[in-house]
Amino acid sequence: MNKVFTDGLSFALPLLIIAVGALYSEKSGVTNLAAEGFQGVGAFFGALAATLLAPVMGNGNQAIIYIAILCAAIGGALFSLIHGLLCIRFRANQVISGVVINILAVALTAFFTSAANTAISGSASNKFVLDVSTRFTVPLLSSIPWIGGIFTDMYPFEIIIAVLVVFLWYLLNRTRFGMRLRACGENPQAVDAAGANVNRIRWIAVMISGALCGIGGICFAYSMIGNFSPSIYQGFGYLAIAAMIFGNWKIGPTTLACLIFGLAKSGGLQLCIAAKLPSNYMDLFLMLPYILTLLLLVFFSKKNHPPKAVGEPFDKSKR
Amino acid sequence: MFLSRRLTGKYASLWVSLLAILMTLAAASILLLTMGKNPLVAFRSFLQGCGMIPKENYGGGSGMLTDLLDFLNYLAPLILASLAFITAFKAGLFNIGIAGQMLLAGFTATVLIGYNKGLSAVVAKPLVLLIGLAVGGMTGALIGWLKYRFNIHEVVSTIMLNYIISYLTGFFINNNYVDMMTRNSKVCSPDSRLTLTNVMIGDLKCKIPLGLIIAILIALLVSFLFRKTVLGFEIKAVGQNRKCSEYTGIRVNRTILLSMGFSGAIAGLAGVAYYLGYTNTIIPKTLPGMGYDSISVALLGSGAPIGSIFAAIVVSIFQQGANYMSSTVGVAKEIASLITGILLLFASCGNYMKYKAARKIQLAADLRGTEGKEAKAS
Amino acid sequence: MGDYIVEMRHITKRFPGIIANDDVSLEIRKGEVYALLGENGAGKSTLMSILFGTYEPDAGEILVRGQKVHFHSSTDAAACGIGMVHQHFKLVEPFTIAENIVLGVEPEEKKLGILPWVNMKKANRQISELSREYGLEVNPTDRIGEVPVSVRQRVEILKMLYRGAEIMIFDEPTAVLTPQEIEFLLQIIDNLRRDGKTIILITHKIAEIKRIADRCAILRQGKLIDVRDVADASAQELADLMVGRQVSFTQEKTAPKYGEPVLEVQHLTVKNEHKFDVVKDVSFTVRSGEIFAIAGVSGNGQGEIADAIAGLAKIADGRVILNGKEINDFSVRERCLGGISYIPEDRQETGTIPDMTLQENLSLREYFREPFSRKGILKPDPFRDYAEKLIGKYDIRCAQGPDTVLRSMSGGNQQKAIVGREIEEGSRLIIFVQPTRGLDIGAIENIHRQILEERERGAAILLISLELDEIMNLADTIGVLYRGEILKIDSADRMTTQEVGRYMMGVKEA
Repeated sequence: MNKVFTDGLSFALPLLIIAVGALYSEKSGVTNLAAEGFQGVGAFFGALAATLLAPVMGNGNQAIIYIAILCAAIGGALFSLIHGLLCIRFRANQVISGVVINILAVALTAFFTSAANTAISGSASNKFVLDVSTRFTVPLLSSIPWIGGIFTDMYPFEIIIAVLVVFLWYLLNRTRFGMRLRACGENPQAVDAAGANVNRIRWIAVMISGALCGIGGICFAYSMIGNFSPSIYQGFGYLAIAAMIFGNWKIGPTTLACLIFGLAKSGGLQLCIAAKLPSNYMDLFLMLPYILTLLLLVFFSKKNHPPKAVGEPFDKSKR
Repeated sequence: MFLSRRLTGKYASLWVSLLAILMTLAAASILLLTMGKNPLVAFRSFLQGCGMIPKENYGGGSGMLTDLLDFLNYLAPLILASLAFITAFKAGLFNIGIAGQMLLAGFTATVLIGYNKGLSAVVAKPLVLLIGLAVGGMTGALIGWLKYRFNIHEVVSTIMLNYIISYLTGFFINNNYVDMMTRNSKVCSPDSRLTLTNVMIGDLKCKIPLGLIIAILIALLVSFLFRKTVLGFEIKAVGQNRKCSEYTGIRVNRTILLSMGFSGAIAGLAGVAYYLGYTNTIIPKTLPGMGYDSISVALLGSGAPIGSIFAAIVVSIFQQGANYMSSTVGVAKEIASLITGILLLFASCGNYMKYKAARKIQLAADLRGTEGKEAKAS
Repeated sequence: MGDYIVEMRHITKRFPGIIANDDVSLEIRKGEVYALLGENGAGKSTLMSILFGTYEPDAGEILVRGQKVHFHSSTDAAACGIGMVHQHFKLVEPFTIAENIVLGVEPEEKKLGILPWVNMKKANRQISELSREYGLEVNPTDRIGEVPVSVRQRVEILKMLYRGAEIMIFDEPTAVLTPQEIEFLLQIIDNLRRDGKTIILITHKIAEIKRIADRCAILRQGKLIDVRDVADASAQELADLMVGRQVSFTQEKTAPKYGEPVLEVQHLTVKNEHKFDVVKDVSFTVRSGEIFAIAGVSGNGQGEIADAIAGLAKIADGRVILNGKEINDFSVRERCLGGISYIPEDRQETGTIPDMTLQENLSLREYFREPFSRKGILKPDPFRDYAEKLIGKYDIRCAQGPDTVLRSMSGGNQQKAIVGREIEEGSRLIIFVQPTRGLDIGAIENIHRQILEERERGAAILLISLELDEIMNLADTIGVLYRGEILKIDSADRMTTQEVGRYMMGVKEA
């Protein structure tokens, strides 16, 4: 049972940071279906950095992980500039842009992983193998039955993400920047009349979104997969978007949604192991998060309100 | 200025596509040059790989014709997949689930017909097509229903379904239908395949892609639907302005359902043309990349059914020719996907290009002081 | 020369395809109420948007208090003490009143010296004080989405005052108000003037100019025509200058010839998505040859009544009867075929498909039947012929004829197309919602003429409008709507404008 919480949390938190990333973009008025691509590219940059640094800083050096996370954030932010360009400058259909970014991300990362590996080690592998991240256990709290699992075998990035999310909530809801960002998603004309630059705020929001999704991606790479490869694209970006939709575009409820997804995934897995089913059956349980998403969408989509102006490019001359 | 006129004229979409292709070729050339390869040699080898230009030498039983037929064999499902995307797109819906619909249709047809040794070709092949239509159509209709009944955004629901289908079919293949040697599904019977294999033309072992005939037929049908029928008109109306469509008396929900249903059905055809045509086996838990390439093709063809045939040819050249290009020029074959991705990027800027061109012409007209021009409503 | 607080010299502004302001120069004195009069599209809003910093002029310069200024954004203008209440409110629905007012000038402090934080408590206090000082009472913690239109306007005014505006621009402020609220607003403007503020009033309502303005500049098609002292100019003079020719304010209306009831609405109730009754137990009848007008402030349920009759909104309770048959369960198309034409409020959004051609749009009511299509296949010729017929009959200007893309046509011509399409059906019931909003006088006269012609023909007309003048001019019978209920129905010649205004505010019969 403890393991359910442990694994659930280690899945839920990277999912959450991606969801918050998508949320920032959408709250500012830019539809973000590109979360899948952002997290993949972010993970690519992070893994690339880790691979380059490992021989220099020593294999197993945990500091590499933190640098990788930083690089993932920067890489994700840089890649998100394309989405920003298409949506803000070129005023393309934002749904199409999101889909385009995702397809491009898969192609770009596959190609450059192969090219980088060829340059580094001579073999055209499509994987960057990552070191195992150390996990730590909080002494007293982890002894609590059931919930103790939350504090057992934690990845360090879980703490980073948790702190980051609290800060992001504060930024969005209590600061001047956050207030203007939210206003841009509801009525950009009002923000423009108040003298702020709508497009600049949206650019920043998209870049934040890219950075956050990138962090989520590298965390997934470390925790779920153990390497960077085409299997980074498992639809987690879309799961995060679904979580954002259930959360009605608010960080608090979104956190809850991500936790539910995480627990469902790990819970299903533990069930499968406990029932001693052959490994094939694991695939059936892997479906759980996606089915759960669909079911929850059925119940929750009708009542949810996206930001009013999301998806529309800002037109200064509109009255 | 020349460009601006073309981009605002009658064939604006065509010019946008051409421009996108040219810019992609330019970007690809730069990429190849930085890798130390000659772009022209690379492009030539793409075409050689597709049987459009002769290679240096051929192995036994193969020739330019076999390469070309292989190319057409890949082209057929791609055309169908992009038609599927277009059909939904006209209604304003994004069917990102084409890959999943293809897989489900291909899997069902393989299991029901492909493993059924007793059926003769004359019976099996039409049944395969029917299953493709039915399975795809039902999946598409489901997505349409989820959209209008529960307001679920189809991009999220289709992706979810993609993964569900992928895991589900993967499970069944691994459990019941796996070929121990290849780790893929057992091959389907030649009678059920939509590609005629081992046809001897001269001394070449050729594959005849029947799927291509289907693809062209469907392209003509879809084109007819949207140009000449009441239903097509209503689908376009719903896609362009749902509120007005409702006001006009169009049954929007029914239209969404039909449009997604058709889209899924065509995707189903693409699926059987792919899994029981281009190939004869299914890799478990893997969604066909073609499902996403179809989006590139549709956007490159500016969402026009006939245009997508030409767009599909362009994309197929890159995808099919990649293996040969990779072996002769020494570049990772992933570059094909990269080029397709860049192509998609430029194609999606099409609207912006048209907008800039229109502005340029407007400014020129203003400067000439053209009087009596209607003010552009915002 | 003199103490002009604002001077705009030789301002020119172009947009693609149109010259919005053509070499306009004005001088505004400190402390006066200066009106800008002109039709829709004359360039008044554009000119003031330049003053407010939203746009930059292509030519010309602006002086404020004698100094040349260059505004790159509305913050620059605000720094000079210029504020603007826009015609379409720029408010963020989920935010509170206070948040809306401080947006852009939020009182930010640093918690613990580093963490930036918006002090909303302080803002709330400041706004309460401000609202009391100027007689514009508001509750700072209410959400904008929940307050009525007149309160929203107060918020827009408070926005200006919060920023210490000395020069205040009002863009068509009375369009959304009842007569009593208009009176209240004009009083506020008077107070502001006495407080030393300079007021610029953009409007096309001459009565208000006569009531409150000191001077009036008349704009027509981008050019400045004249500047007059309001006391010396008559309403007729101003109107003629605005339009450029002799204008008559009222239409010739023949004596009513009523026939059978065409539309009967009985105890109609419509709920919105929050299960709230936006239309409550409404009953009325419209006879053939009668114009029944529903008066009311925007947002009181007018649109929902029209939608319910047309089939676009669900009927929660009550009956709608057309030509004696109950149509509650009829689909939209069945109602159209049963004889309802509908000219919607949001013309472009609801009444047209902007990316389709003119001929396709004109055939939206006909495409599914002969001769436009047979057995589901479209026939191209009837579309073209029909379009050409309507283009000629309704004087629709289109650059490429029936193949013109609707989006590229001007707003006025799009409206002509919609009205033409609906009237051509010859329906027994025609519903007009806000038919003349945003149109110039020529187009307004046209539409009024068409409405009266249809009345002559024997159609039953349901007219829903926010323009009280329009209603008093055209209606045979008036029903006044307040918060979803009809408070009064009476024949038009028995009601005065003031009376109607009172009902619009919810004052029920004593």
